[in-house]
Amino acid sequence: MNSKGGFTIQRMLFGAVLLAILLVTPHLLSFHHKDLLIFLTINVLAVCSYRLVTLTGEWSLIHAVMMGVGAYTVALSVNHFELAIWFTLPLAGVAAGLVAALLCFPLLRMTQFYFLIGSFAAGEAIRLTWVEFVGVFGGTSGLRGVEAPIVWGIDFLDPIPYYYFSLCVVTICLIILYRIEHSRVGLTLHAIHWKAPLAESVGVDAWRYRALAFILGSFFAGIAGGLKVQYLGSVTPNQFTIGFMVFILIWVIVGGYNKFYGPIIGVVVLTIFDESIRSFEIMRPAIYGGMLILSILFLPLGLESIPAKLKFWFGSGTSPDEPPLSDQ
Amino acid sequence: MELFLQSIANGLVQGGFFALFAVGLVLIFGVMGVVNFAHGELVMVGAFTIWVLHAQAGLAYIPAIAVAIVLVTVIGLLMERLLFRPTRSDPLAGLICSIGVLFILQVIAALVGGDGPSKQVPPPYQGTLVMFDALRIPYQRVFSLAISVAALVSLWFFLTQTKFGWALRAVAMDREAAELQGINTNRTSMVAIGVGTALAGLAGGLIAPLTNINPHMGHNVIVTAFIVTIVGGVGSLSGAVLAAILYALFHTLITVYFGGTIATISGLVLMVAVLIVKPTGLMGVSISE
Amino acid sequence: MSILEMNNVTKQFGGLMALDDVSFQIDEGEIRGLIGPNGAGKSTMFKNIAGFYKPTSGSIVYRGVNLEGKQPHTIAEMGIVRTFQETTLFQELSVFENALVGAHIKSRSNVFSAVLGLDRLKQQAASEKVMDVLEFMGLTERKDQLASELPLGSQRALALAIALVSEPRMMLMDEPFAGMNAEETNHMMGLTRKVRESGITIVLVEHDMKAVMGLCNYLTVLNFGKLLAEGTPDEIRNNDRVIEAYLGGV
Ligand SMILES: Nc1ncnc2c1ncn2[C@@H]1O[C@H](COP(=O)(O)OP(=O)(O)OP(=O)(O)O)[C@@H](O)[C@H]1O
Ligand SMILES: [Mg+2]
Repeated sequence: MNSKGGFTIQRMLFGAVLLAILLVTPHLLSFHHKDLLIFLTINVLAVCSYRLVTLTGEWSLIHAVMMGVGAYTVALSVNHFELAIWFTLPLAGVAAGLVAALLCFPLLRMTQFYFLIGSFAAGEAIRLTWVEFVGVFGGTSGLRGVEAPIVWGIDFLDPIPYYYFSLCVVTICLIILYRIEHSRVGLTLHAIHWKAPLAESVGVDAWRYRALAFILGSFFAGIAGGLKVQYLGSVTPNQFTIGFMVFILIWVIVGGYNKFYGPIIGVVVLTIFDESIRSFEIMRPAIYGGMLILSILFLPLGLESIPAKLKFWFGSGTSPDEPPLSDQ
Repeated sequence: MELFLQSIANGLVQGGFFALFAVGLVLIFGVMGVVNFAHGELVMVGAFTIWVLHAQAGLAYIPAIAVAIVLVTVIGLLMERLLFRPTRSDPLAGLICSIGVLFILQVIAALVGGDGPSKQVPPPYQGTLVMFDALRIPYQRVFSLAISVAALVSLWFFLTQTKFGWALRAVAMDREAAELQGINTNRTSMVAIGVGTALAGLAGGLIAPLTNINPHMGHNVIVTAFIVTIVGGVGSLSGAVLAAILYALFHTLITVYFGGTIATISGLVLMVAVLIVKPTGLMGVSISE
Repeated sequence: MSILEMNNVTKQFGGLMALDDVSFQIDEGEIRGLIGPNGAGKSTMFKNIAGFYKPTSGSIVYRGVNLEGKQPHTIAEMGIVRTFQETTLFQELSVFENALVGAHIKSRSNVFSAVLGLDRLKQQAASEKVMDVLEFMGLTERKDQLASELPLGSQRALALAIALVSEPRMMLMDEPFAGMNAEETNHMMGLTRKVRESGITIVLVEHDMKAVMGLCNYLTVLNFGKLLAEGTPDEIRNNDRVIEAYLGGV
């Protein structure tokens, strides 16, 4: 957790190349792929915020619904109050965080299997509320006509400016998430995961930290949901089903949840993969399912662990600049 | 009042059906420690089998049910052997694998059934049982209820009166202790998942003529199964049966008076409430009672 | 002056009386031995004090405050820290990080200052404290190793270090010498003495009689959940009931 290194030449180079790729990519893509790039950017935030929730060792199934809470908050606040995106996004986060805070009381009484199922039930209940209360949430067809934001005269209906905008928002969120994980707060979350009673014996209120991780993770999920609806212009309950939740899980697990960047690798690789098997249409979920199973059986630490494995097989064991579990 | 009684009757039929798949889920969780997220899809596969064999190919209903049970059981046994056994040390891994299976089964069903609207199976048993002049229950539902009850009674007999049933309960109570006593836990797992999935296949077969069949019908099944399992007490078979019946009555009544979505929301809220009061469920804690 | 008072503490597990109407007191600055045959209820006593179990009846009073209904973390904040009978560490964290978790009470961080880096000074102080304790425990060289990679002796020392970093007033040590060879035991005894000299009250559960008799000035003996005897090491050594309990237990 103590940050090593600072700015070496390699790191700066890596950063510069990454930045160039991120900035240039949209200009090389078709319209359809630009859309996809925006969703990918948003999903990166979804998986990274989910990872924060899982740091304490609890896996929830309500994260997708938390994105939905953010999305509905934005849709309602734009439609009714015409708020600007500077307000709607933080509002989306706060709303999701508040819902999470309320849910802490029932949900965090449970752990493990019970938490998983409890969070699933709570999420499904919220989602069905959107279906049921047509007057407020528009029922199955959801809320439409969420006006595209215009900032400094730039029309965000155009994918490229919106991509840059979401890239900025997501990057800021990722920096915050990274700093949280690599701070004392993050260390405490890891400690609760590994041995909650030991942490409690030196004064850690495990419940509060679980709640904190859940609320903060939901906050960023809300922002991700807000980004999505601002681009799509509409929101429906079907966007946040257990199906989408399962995708978040798959991205995180296939990428590897032990490292901060694991889920990012997962969502990027699988999105590209998904696009490449587009022609299989109806077969796609099955291919996904198969990959999920294979990665659980044969690559339990995720894609993130491949470089270390390769080095182990072909090289001299662990690499010097990457001690095992340095992220913890 | 008539509406009320009619709802009670419908609720009971539904309760028998709920109990079939909830009990299977509980059995698998109790003995193997995995949450089988694909359980709803197994019911769906059972229902699809009826549609293909009975409604399309013209095979009689009862043999079609038999095939559905065998097919689903084979899928279950494969899941245990290929997925759950290798991941036994990590319950989360087993759950994730079952989600993978869920996707695969949905796609297979979509391929078999082709695009288009939900399928229907015409009820093999026509006519309606009329009781007290007012209460009307179609024979198809009577049949469904009778078979559910028969299956649950056999399961109870199997678990309490046979050596295998005894071994299952021992493993569910304490896997390590059972292993020390020389119980082959791999075999008990196979039996547990075999029985659990056979019940899911049967449930699919029974529901097929009473519902719309589509690749996504498993979703409602698993939601219901979770509610029933939690309310009944995770790991408690008798609790699951009782909770299945109570929940079916509850759900049917609320659906009649307030609508289906509200019924499901209430069910979910009820479940969270139960978890708050007693995180291990309302009734009992172990499969062994 | 007594720092901790047990008043008629009873703990029942179903039909089993793990603690049966036990009363005793511990004085500030003392190093007290709590002994008894296997299953006597020693660990159960610790868990009740530290808030991990709730007594079925009776009260535990720490510095004049009744601990009834208090959560483990609150009790830790009040100054009572326990170590665990089984070696309990954050296996996947480094030695330094393990000890740093112990600094939670003194230098916890909130999300805002963590993200904005506002509490550098506090964190620096915490690091220094941790390094001091690791030095004290002879773990400085190993500070970047994973806890799971340590030999048993060092693991025990680290468990103690985590507790010490939290600057407790009172430590409940559950069999800290279990599984150690004579040399390691001697080393740990020395460390325990030093801890006590720094002003921390210690309650020690231990089966190694030589160690207990060597360290403690006063002993409390439990048997089948009941208080069997109290006295100086010499008195206990010659107490017939204690001898019988230990022999009967074999
Ligand atoms: N959570 C529990 N549930 C049921 N019984 C328990 C529980 N914890 C302890 N016991 C029982 O209480 C009694 C006292 O146990 P305890 O662990 O306190 O003994 P101990 O004196 O620490 O023994 P040892 O020297 O072996 O560590 C034992 O009979 C034990 O089986
Ligand atoms: Mg003990």
